[in-house]
Order: sequence, then structure tokens, then C-alpha cells
Amino acid sequence: MSNLATALVFWPSTALMLVTGANVFRTSSMARAGLLLLAALGIEGLVFLSLASEFLGVLQLLMMSGEMVIMVFFMVMFMPDPGGLMGMDMTHDKRRAATLAAAVGVGLAVLAVLTDWPARVIGTSAPDVRAIGFEVMGRSMVTFLFAAMTILFAMVGGVLLAKHGGRYGRDD
Amino acid sequence: MAAGRVSDLTPVAVLGVALGGAVIVGFLEQVVAGLRPAPTALFGSANAALHEPLSRPDVRDGWLFHLAPGLLLLAATAALAFVPWAPGFRGIDLSTGMIAFPAALAYVTPAIFMAGWGAGRPLAVVGAFRWLALMLAYAMPLAMVTTAVAAPAGSLRPVDIVDVQHAVPMAIVQPLALVLWVPAILAVCFLRPFDFPQAPGELGGGAFSEYRGLDAALVGLAQRILLVAVSGMTAALFLAGWHGPVLPPALWMAVKTLGVALLLLWAGERLPRPGIDRVVSLAWKVANPLAIVAIAWGGLMTLIFYS
Repeated sequence: MSNLATALVFWPSTALMLVTGANVFRTSSMARAGLLLLAALGIEGLVFLSLASEFLGVLQLLMMSGEMVIMVFFMVMFMPDPGGLMGMDMTHDKRRAATLAAAVGVGLAVLAVLTDWPARVIGTSAPDVRAIGFEVMGRSMVTFLFAAMTILFAMVGGVLLAKHGGRYGRDD
Repeated sequence: MAAGRVSDLTPVAVLGVALGGAVIVGFLEQVVAGLRPAPTALFGSANAALHEPLSRPDVRDGWLFHLAPGLLLLAATAALAFVPWAPGFRGIDLSTGMIAFPAALAYVTPAIFMAGWGAGRPLAVVGAFRWLALMLAYAMPLAMVTTAVAAPAGSLRPVDIVDVQHAVPMAIVQPLALVLWVPAILAVCFLRPFDFPQAPGELGGGAFSEYRGLDAALVGLAQRILLVAVSGMTAALFLAGWHGPVLPPALWMAVKTLGVALLLLWAGERLPRPGIDRVVSLAWKVANPLAIVAIAWGGLMTLIFYS
């Protein structure tokens, strides 16, 4: 995309992303909060796409949809006021949370502006890119596989522990 | 989008395939139901639906109710755009097309949840929550099978996966992947026998029970476009896409897509809806482990025949 087209997608999307993200904490309904969070993260995926980061963008769009809806499901299950009819407040410990959030935000913005980003765009065939690819898919793969199996075992274990009836028999 | 090639006519062409495909699916439904295909019945019922007033649920999240059909339609049309239809016409051609396709389908999930939750009626909310259980059941096998069929091509670009099948269709090389894929795509379209979110006769329309008029028509249209998209992707991934003797490529693709759609509708007409607990249990205990076997099989076939 041209610079103008990128800017036309990037800035309105970013603004909309921030608005939906902030509204997550202003609503009192779990369903609304989860869906607003999905909107913010989905728009973030579109922002990645507009910055020509195709893989990240598509992956973000894929992963967030299911995850956020499952989050809505669990929040509706566990929160005392899932429909937001009693006007529950989503924020806690306001002053300290706001200070911390502002400090982190300003810190990241300063880093982003002051960092000396490389101006050169490296193609997929550059030797560095190939080297990273072989490193990730080669020696480092053992680490990734170990982490993946650990997460899988943790998930299966969590489900087994949460299952009604547990090890004392089937619940159906 | 660096790798995507989007021509100026692409949006028009994708919309044309979506609308034309939806009408043809409407005729296929009539054939499967044992009726003669009748345009008057098809367009008459659509026209009647459009003249019906909308229902406006009197709940706080009612705005989600009217947003859901639009999101459903967007997800279905986007999924359709990633299907490689013919050598010259492939909608949106991304090098990550095999991630983009399930990513588009993934937005059916929030749409159906919004439909049921926004209606604010017990049966509609039950339909929405059942859909979440069904989504958890089909999504993992669907995504894992995608990896297995992409392996021989060494690429996530759908066009490359079609081209690697010029000699042998993937259905013959990886039959297990196809066996896991078919129920998953039926579930994605919330078609019978996996019509859990609406479940006529049990939930009386479920997540969509409150929809009237334009909203209902859009949901019906989106579901038919979804069927065209997943049938087209099945033809492309497993049945060698546009490859075939004598006939022109686009015609081969159309014939295969319609064949898959007809088969899915025909099977849905004849199979009873199982219990949701059974489906979820089967998906997690049988389909997911088998999907890992399918990935290993796909890798083995790639090493032996494609490298």
C-alpha cells in the first residue's frame, strides 16, 4: 500500500482501537466488555495488516475471535452481575492503576520515538532472515516443542481437575 | 498487504460469486428437500421476509442483535474471498491464505454469540452458549487439518496447495484429514446435523429465534454464503481445485464446489442431530487426537512423495 493509504487506514483504526479499548473498562456488562475487547484486538489485527505485517495481522484476527468470546463465556459464568444491570464498576484501585498505566504508556511512547529504527526494509531472501528462520525451525525448535507440550499437559490437567466427578467416575 | 494482489474488480467478483452461489445453494436445498427447483418459491420467500417488520428486543444489549447478521455476512464473504476459484481469479490471494480463511470463519463465533445474547430471551441465550461449545469442538480439528494439507505444498497459499495436487488429489493422499475436515465445516455453517445454535424442534430457532424481516434474511444469506465458501475450500484443498481433464478450470472448480455443497446438504437432511455433549466429547477425545495423527501422516507423505 502507498504511504497515504497506510495512513488512511492506520490513524482512524488506531483511534477506534483506543476508544473501544478504553470502553472495555467503562461498561458494566461482561458481555459488552468482552465484545469491546474483541473489537479493539480485531482492529489491532487490521492495523497490523495496514502496516504490511500480514502474518501477524491474520494470526491476531484468528486467535482473538475465539479467545475473547470464550472469555465472555467465563466472565458471564463467574461474575455476580454478568448482564451489567446493577451498574457494577469495572475499575479498581483507581489512582495507582491510572498512574502506573500512564507511566508505562509514556515510557513506551518515549522509547518508540527515541529508538533509532533501521530505515532499510529487508526482504524475505536476506541472509539474516534466512538465518533466523533456520535458527527458529532448527535448534530452538526443541525449546518450543517442550513449551508447547508443557502447556498442553497443563491444559489437560486443568480440565481433569475441574471436571465434575473428577477421578471418581464419569459424570454422564 | 505486501504479498496480496487485489485487482480493482476483486470486490465485485467476490460479491458476485457470493450472491450467485447463495442462490444456487437455495436451489440445491429445494432439490435435497425433494422439491423441484423453483425460482418463484425461492425469491418469493426472500421477498416476503424483506417486507416483514424487524423485531427490536427490549434489552440493554439489543444493539448487538442487529449487529450480528452484518458481522456474520462479513465473515462469510471474507472467507469466500480467500478461496482460489480459478487460475486467474482468486479473490484475495495471500501467502497466509490458509490462516486467513479460518480467521474469517472465526468471526462467525462472536456473530452467533451476539445474536443469541442480544435477543435477551432464554432459548436464544442457550443457543448462543451451545454454539460456543460446538465452536470449541470443531475449531481445533479444522485448524490442525489445515496444517496437514498445507504441508505437501510447503506453503500456506491456497493457490500453491491446488497446484501441488495437479497429479493426485489430496483426498487420496490424506483421507484421514478429509474425514476430520467434513464434519468441522458442516459445524462451521451451523447446518444440520450440527445446527445446535438454532436447533429447530428443540430450541425453536435458538440464537436466531427472534430474527424477523431483513435481519432473518441476512442470516439466511450469510449461512448459504458460508456453505459456498467451505465447499469451495474443500474442492480446492482436497479435490485438486481447478485441475481436471477437458473442461475449463473455472468450470471444474464450480462442478466440484457444487458437488460438495450438495453432498453436505444431502447428508444433513438424513442425519439426526446428536446431543451436544456427545459431539463435544467425540471432538475432544477422538477428533483432536486423530488430527494430530493426520498432521504426522501429512508430514510423512510430504517427506516421501513431495520433497
